[in-house]
Amino acid sequence: MSEIDLAAVTQATVDKLEPLGGVLKTFKDMVSVTVPRENIVEAVSIAKASGFEMLSDVFGIDYLTYPGHQGERFSVVYNMRNPEGNGRIFIRVDVGEGASLPTITGLFKAANFMEREVYDMFGVTFEGHPDLRRLLLPEDFDGHPHRKDFPLGETPTLFGEGRFLDPAAFRAGLIGADPGLTGWKGGAAKGAHSEQEFGQGAGMHGKESGKP
Amino acid sequence: MGLRDLFEKDVQELENEGILFSSLEKLVAWGRSNSLWPATFGLACCAIEMMQSTNARNDMARFGSEVFRASPRQADVMIVAGRLSKKMAPIMRRVYEQMPDPKWVISMGACASSGGMFNNYAIVQNVDSVVPVDIFVPGCPPRPEALVYAVQQLQKKVRGEAFDQHGVELPMVEGWSR
Amino acid sequence: MSAQDLGRTATVTREEQHGEFETRYMRINVGPQHPSTHGVLRLVVDLDGEEIVGIKPQIGYLHTGFEKTMENRTYQQGVTYSNRMDYLHGFAHDLAYVLSVEKLMEARVPDRAQRIRVALNELNRIASHLVFIGTGLLDMGALTPFFYTMREREMLLDIFELVCGVRMNFGYFRVGGLYRDVPDEFLPAVEAFLGTFPKMIEQYERLFAKNDIFVNRLKNVGVLSRETALDWGLTGPSLRASGVPLDFRKAAPYSGYEDYDFDIPTYDAGDALSRMLIRVDEMRESLKIVRQAIGRMEPGPIRDPDRRISLPPRSELENSMEAVIFHFKLVTEGFHPPRGEAYVATESARGELGYYIVSDGGSMPYRVKIRVPSLINLQSLEPACLGGMFADMIVNIASLDPILGDVDK
Repeated sequence: MSEIDLAAVTQATVDKLEPLGGVLKTFKDMVSVTVPRENIVEAVSIAKASGFEMLSDVFGIDYLTYPGHQGERFSVVYNMRNPEGNGRIFIRVDVGEGASLPTITGLFKAANFMEREVYDMFGVTFEGHPDLRRLLLPEDFDGHPHRKDFPLGETPTLFGEGRFLDPAAFRAGLIGADPGLTGWKGGAAKGAHSEQEFGQGAGMHGKESGKP
Repeated sequence: MGLRDLFEKDVQELENEGILFSSLEKLVAWGRSNSLWPATFGLACCAIEMMQSTNARNDMARFGSEVFRASPRQADVMIVAGRLSKKMAPIMRRVYEQMPDPKWVISMGACASSGGMFNNYAIVQNVDSVVPVDIFVPGCPPRPEALVYAVQQLQKKVRGEAFDQHGVELPMVEGWSR
Repeated sequence: MSAQDLGRTATVTREEQHGEFETRYMRINVGPQHPSTHGVLRLVVDLDGEEIVGIKPQIGYLHTGFEKTMENRTYQQGVTYSNRMDYLHGFAHDLAYVLSVEKLMEARVPDRAQRIRVALNELNRIASHLVFIGTGLLDMGALTPFFYTMREREMLLDIFELVCGVRMNFGYFRVGGLYRDVPDEFLPAVEAFLGTFPKMIEQYERLFAKNDIFVNRLKNVGVLSRETALDWGLTGPSLRASGVPLDFRKAAPYSGYEDYDFDIPTYDAGDALSRMLIRVDEMRESLKIVRQAIGRMEPGPIRDPDRRISLPPRSELENSMEAVIFHFKLVTEGFHPPRGEAYVATESARGELGYYIVSDGGSMPYRVKIRVPSLINLQSLEPACLGGMFADMIVNIASLDPILGDVDK
C-alpha cells in the first residue's frame, strides 16, 4: 500500500470511528482512537473491515500513579495492523476498577491468550471469553501483578557481615525519587519535560516534534 | 607371578607391577563419579549453554555425562539450568524426588543460585530452598567450560576428595545402603 | 487389543461394569518437563486413541515478570533485561527496545552504529535458526545434524564474544547507538564466516532436506491455511510458510533495512515441511544482508552525540563543568524521555516483536509492554494439531519454534 493510500485508509477508519465516540490522538506516525466501553466490539470490527485486518496485541496500562492523569484507572489497548504490515492503529478503551469488557475472540481467535493475559495481570474481565483464567501466573496466585499498587516483591539483599539492603529504597535514593536526609530530589520530578500526553510534545532536542 | 606373591610382596612393589589396591567403596565411588548422567532440566538461557557444553567443542561426554536422560528415574544429577519460577518449583521438587539415590544437584547460573537479576514476585531466589544443591555455578550464562568444571568438581565430591568452605572434608558417596 | 481399546478401557466408568458402555477421551498431560528441547511447555491433550481431539497449552512455568521489573529499572538498564527473554535471538529484543526508546526521545543513531546493529542482528538470526534446525531434528530422532549446526553456532558465538564480551545475553546496544566500537578483528572474522557458511548450508540440505524419512514425517503435517494462520495471529517464518509474504523488515523498515537488497522466501503449503525449509532459506537471505551491511560500514561515531542521552567523552570532563553535570546525571539517574507512548514493530526470528513503552517523564519507564511473537504463535498449535496424530504434535511444536522465555516473559 503506498503512503497516500495508507493515509487515506487511516483517515477513513478514524472518520468511521468518530460517531462511536472515538477521540483521536497522534504521536509521530502512531494513530490512536479512544472509544467508550460499550462500542469496543463494533469499533474493532469497523477497523477490521476498513483494512486493519490483523490483530497484533491486546494489553493493559494502569494509570494509577501517572502524574496528571484524569479519568479511569485502566486503559486497554488493541493494536491492529493491515495485512501489508506498514499501517497500524491503536484502539483504546478506558475502564475503571472492577469493570469488564466484551471479548473480541469472535472477531479474532488470536485474542484468546491476549485477553487472558490482561485478566491475569490487571484483573479486567472479559465477558464471553471461552476460557477466562490465569495465563502466566499460578492458578492460586493472589492479586494482579502489573497493577501499580502490587509490589515488585523484592527480597532484601543480605551482605556477608549481616547488613541488609532494601533494593527499592536504594534505587529510589539513587535516582532522587526519595529525597532522604539531604532533601535533594534530583531531576526525577515526574513529568517535568512535557505537559502533553501522547501528543506532539517537545522532544529532547528542544525542537517541535512530530507530524500527525 | 603366582598367587603367593600377592600375600608376600610389598604393596608398593605390587602397584609398580600393575595391581591396583582399593576398597570396594572407593571403586564404586569412582565408577559413579565417572558416569554422572544428567537429567534434562533446562529452563531458560542456561539450558542453551548446557546444550553447547555437549557439542563437539566442549564435549562433556568425555567426562562421563554420555547422555542426558529424559526420565528422572534414569538420571544421577539434575542440572538446574535457568531461572526457576514459583509456578515451576513444585514440579521441580517432584522431578527431584523421582530421581533414585544417590543423586546430586548442580545449580547452574546466577538465576538458579540466587535469583540473579530477577528480584521479584515470580522467581525463586535460591534453588537451594527447593532442592539441596551440591555445586553452584556463577555466570549469566556460565560458559560451557564453567559447567564442565562444575561437573568435574562434583566428581571430586562424589569420590570424597572435596572440601567445603570451612575446610571440612566432604564424605564420599555411599557405595550401598546398609 | 488394539491401541484404541487400551485407551478406552483406561477410562472405564462404573456404568461399564454394570453393562452400559461409555467411552471417553483420554486426557494426557505432556510436560512441563519433557524430552523435547523447547523449554517448560505443558500441554493438556485430549486423545481419541492416537488422534488429538483437543489440545490446550498451559504456560507460565517460566514467568519472570520482565515487564514489571523493567518498570523499576532505568531505561539504560532495560537493555540488560530485554535479551534474556528470547535468548536465542537476543539482539532482536535489544533492538526493538532501543528503537522504541529512541523513537520517544527522537535520538539520531549514526550510520555506523546502524550498520553494525543490522549485521549483528542478522548473524544472531542465523544462530537462532541453527538451533531451530538442530533441536528440531533432535526431536525427530536425528542426532547428527545437532552437532553440525552447533559447530557453526560456535563460530558465530566467537564473533559475538569478540564484539560484546559475552556469547549470549549481550549488553551491547545502547539507546543512541552502541556500547563501543567493534574491534579490528571483527571484519576478518565475519568475512571468514561468510566464506564458509554457504557451503555448510548446502551440507545441511544434503543431510536432511531430501531425506525420505524427514520429508515423509513432515509433509502435510500440521497444515495451517492462510486464513487460519491470519486469524490466529501467526507471524514470522511460520506465517510466510503459509503463503503470506509479511516481513516487517520490508513492510515497515527500521534501522536502515530499506537500503538492503534481500528477498522474502514464501512457501504455500503451510505444513511443517515448509516451516522447516523456510528457515534454511532465511539463513541465506540473512547472509546477503550481513554482506551488504559490513560492506557499507564507514568509519564514524557510534553513539548519538546528544549529551542528554550519551555520556560525554572523558576528555571533555576536564574542561567543561556542564559536561560533568551531564555525566553525573546520566550515571546516577539516567535520561528522561518526554511523556508519551511509542511502539516500533520489528521482525525477530519468530515473528513480530515490539516494545510499547509508556513514559511519564521520569528516568524509569512507566509501562513496558512487550508484544512477544512466541506467545501469539503458540496459540496456532491448536489448529495445527487438531485432527492429527499424537506423534505429530512434537513435530508441530518444533516447527512453530516457540521459545518459552519469550512466551512467558
